Amino acid sequence: MSELVRLTEVTKVYQGGITGALNGVSVAVEKGEFTAIMGPSGSGKSTMLNLVAGLDRPSSGTVTVGGTDLSKLGEAGLARFRRDHIGFVFQFFYLLPNLTALENILIPAQLKGNVVPGRARELLAQLNIKEVADRYPARLSGGQQQRVAIARALINNPTLLLADEPTGALDTHTGDQVMELLGQLHRTGQTILLVTHDAKLATRHAARVISVMDGKIVDDARLESPERAASEVIRVRGEEVSR
Amino acid sequence: MTAVLVKALRDIRRRRLQVAVVFVTTLLAVGTGTIALTLIAQTSDPYQTAFEAQKGAHLVVDFDGRVDPGALAGTPAAIGASAFAGPYRATDMQFQSGGHKYTVTTIARDNPGGDVGQLRITGGRWPSNGNEIALTRSFADLNHVSIGDRLRVLSVPEAPSLTVVGLVVDIDELRADVGGQQHAWVIESAFASLTTKGASFYQMDYRFASDPTSAQVQAHLTTLRASLPPDSITGSISYIFARTVFHISTEILTGVLVAFSVFALAATAAIVANLVTGIVISAYREIGIMKAVGFTPTQVIGVFVLQILVPTAAACLVGIPGAMVLSQPLLASNSQALGLAYQPTYSPVLGLLALAGALLIVTVAAMIPAFRAGRLKPAIVIANASAPRGQSGRWLRRVASMARLPRPMVLGLGDSAARPVRALLTLLAVVLGVATVVVALGETRTFNEIYSYEGHIGKVDVVVAKSPALADAAATQLIASQPETRRVVAQASANITAHGIADPVNTLTFRGDSAALGFLLTSGRWFSGPGEVVTNGGFLQDAHLKVGDSFTGTVNGSALKLRIVGVVYDFTAGPGGHIMMLDWATLAASVPDLSPSSYMVTLKPDSNVDAYVRRLAAAQPDLLDVQVASSGNTAFLSVIAVVLLAIAGLIALIAVAGVFNTVLLNTRERLRDTATLKTLGMSPRQMIAMVATSGGFLALVGGLIAVPAGVAVYRVLFDQLSNLGGNTTPPSFYDVFATWELIAIPIVGVAVAIAAAAIPGRWAARTNVVEVLHAE
Repeated sequence: MSELVRLTEVTKVYQGGITGALNGVSVAVEKGEFTAIMGPSGSGKSTMLNLVAGLDRPSSGTVTVGGTDLSKLGEAGLARFRRDHIGFVFQFFYLLPNLTALENILIPAQLKGNVVPGRARELLAQLNIKEVADRYPARLSGGQQQRVAIARALINNPTLLLADEPTGALDTHTGDQVMELLGQLHRTGQTILLVTHDAKLATRHAARVISVMDGKIVDDARLESPERAASEVIRVRGEEVSR
Repeated sequence: MTAVLVKALRDIRRRRLQVAVVFVTTLLAVGTGTIALTLIAQTSDPYQTAFEAQKGAHLVVDFDGRVDPGALAGTPAAIGASAFAGPYRATDMQFQSGGHKYTVTTIARDNPGGDVGQLRITGGRWPSNGNEIALTRSFADLNHVSIGDRLRVLSVPEAPSLTVVGLVVDIDELRADVGGQQHAWVIESAFASLTTKGASFYQMDYRFASDPTSAQVQAHLTTLRASLPPDSITGSISYIFARTVFHISTEILTGVLVAFSVFALAATAAIVANLVTGIVISAYREIGIMKAVGFTPTQVIGVFVLQILVPTAAACLVGIPGAMVLSQPLLASNSQALGLAYQPTYSPVLGLLALAGALLIVTVAAMIPAFRAGRLKPAIVIANASAPRGQSGRWLRRVASMARLPRPMVLGLGDSAARPVRALLTLLAVVLGVATVVVALGETRTFNEIYSYEGHIGKVDVVVAKSPALADAAATQLIASQPETRRVVAQASANITAHGIADPVNTLTFRGDSAALGFLLTSGRWFSGPGEVVTNGGFLQDAHLKVGDSFTGTVNGSALKLRIVGVVYDFTAGPGGHIMMLDWATLAASVPDLSPSSYMVTLKPDSNVDAYVRRLAAAQPDLLDVQVASSGNTAFLSVIAVVLLAIAGLIALIAVAGVFNTVLLNTRERLRDTATLKTLGMSPRQMIAMVATSGGFLALVGGLIAVPAGVAVYRVLFDQLSNLGGNTTPPSFYDVFATWELIAIPIVGVAVAIAAAAIPGRWAARTNVVEVLHAE
């Protein structure tokens, strides 16, 4: 597998240095990996995701995605980069309320100048939400909204799918369904970077779990390797939390 | 109350941009309103002050020179005048000064004082010998004649010279810049040498114990006419007419200003209502918290209204005194025209009235949406955190999608109509702004069109005024002998008495192809032979006649059978004035010595007009005044145009502020959507395009409504202006806008709105996605 994402000595400081979100983080993600970033609130996991998505810039260090150094891109360049390479799934879905499910899914493609209703309908079918195509977000359940958000994230065939607590606003059953869906996508070769604070969720679906604490990576476990079991990851995280 | 105040003041500090929008829009609106109010309040003051100070005549009457002066002495008693002056001997005198020739009514008078019609000397002194003359100051200013200048009298064969020794203000004559032949004064012993036999007349000034009404003035004239031989009265001016003419520019200006003030205040009210609605929507959770901690609904309303009233009051404190100061030059021009020492006047009552009006309008506008805040249920708004999203605009988005517009534009179009009330209020502001510009453009052009029309611009190239000393045949032969001359229409004026009309009617008689002069007819047709007459609307109205009617007029004691064949659009007669136009042959029989006073000459194409004028003037330097046809003095029109366009510009700015405000509210309200779109890959340019589209679309719709609305309002105002002269507006006069202009105005509006929307668009493009989504 080739490297898709690399963070090198990345530091992110908010509010003029009062709060340090990330402190000299270096990590790489391979293409095709399903990686979970885990950590408690304020640990810096979402900051990592935002930096990878080019939504934020590091205070120091470099972020490279698919060989592109994001620090070299301007705002327009970053927008194009996201459009072409990134799919983003949020905890609160963030569907545009004035657009139907289908229109929401189509937006990233339309911003690229593509008209791909066929692909959007394919995704709707793939995600089992074909019947909600013409409904507005307010008339969808949480699970349906998140599926629409996933379809929207996939419409441009992104190189990297970023998911920030995608089950955080869903009940357990629906959350499981969404995670199962992400797992299916991974099995088809989609690179996924998942942020979650739920260790069970992370270990059940991700092949690699990076634990972040106080802006630093405190553990990086590849679950498929025999020497690291899921339970161990959970133990590590438990220790970190209890510190 | 303290809590309400503290909360409102904190909100003002937090919402500086909205506060600035309220401040600026209110400042512009209240400024416009105050200027209008100041002008209205002051309109009659300077004239009335001067009229009383100079013991102005309520009625000035010209009598035929053949009337026995002894008979005139009894006229004041006949009409119950409390004071009188005259009879003064008077004559129309043509003179030359600095290469230009002028005609004034020269009056023989030994001193400027008296019981009626005192003359205020504003420069120099009263003439003391036969070689001296005093002129009205407005005439001298207009024509750049100064004390010490020597005037060569051309209307008598001896051509004596007179030295200007005094400039005076005569409250009883019409303003020089608006129209009307001006007066000049010489001492009585000098008069005989300045007139020819049969060319002089008598003038008397009458003053009554109290200001008579128009009907009373007419009744006095009727009594006078009955007490004297027929055709003794050749003309008259009432103080009402003189005052109306004096104030005509101010009245026109005031009328339009009042309309514009209403527009400005309405636009401001729309913007304020919009803004408060936006604040309420954005402060949804906060309203819940306020209520939860004990604010009553009234106090919640108070917080929102107060944060609008504070900048409004601040705008009034700056705008009202500022507008009063700005009004002073306009007021000063009236006083200065009357030779009054101008004292800047500031009316506290007026200021308070403007303040109360502005506060009331803004309070009402703010209170309506604030009520919504007062009625919100705290539990619900705290739980929901934000107001329900505007869901309208979907149909618009669908249409735009079908039109295959770029996605940012589609989204922007949907956003523009997402909140229908907001969109409507913004449209209102835009419509008012654009319509005002259309009205201002139309009115200013119309004023110029009227002047061009009255000056026969485009129909006549050269106007030749003839001295009575030069024979008609000689002048005609001279003009006709010029190779460039294509058409000559000779014009003479006479006074015809008509039944039902108190004053003799000023009658223009034409020789030649007068139809080619381009007089516009509002009904009927141009005269085509003897006995046919064209009149203005005011004449028909006052004489209770209509097109097709016949009546008998009297001139020089001869009866003239006349038939009305058309109604002419005319302003030269002034408000309430009368005019008739007829063929030369109609008058020639009754007025044997009828001689043209001027010739209107049209040249062959590509002629050198200046060379023609120089050559013709050189042929008769003393007896002909040859001028390129012009629309006359339009200085006062320029003042009106500048004021109207400036205020229209201000109201348009208010509209721009309205669009800016709406786009800003939309952008702030949709911050999460903006952040989401950025995450999905919307570029800064696409973001700006989306936001600009939402503003531009409102401006486009507003412009498309405003242009026809503005044209309609312009027509109504123009019709009122026409009515001042007793006219119905001819359709061709409405045609002051080129089609491309009517298309360009909304396009420019859209461009300006896009520019205004681009500012919040840029802010949207710079939205920090992480912060916004984190805050959610």
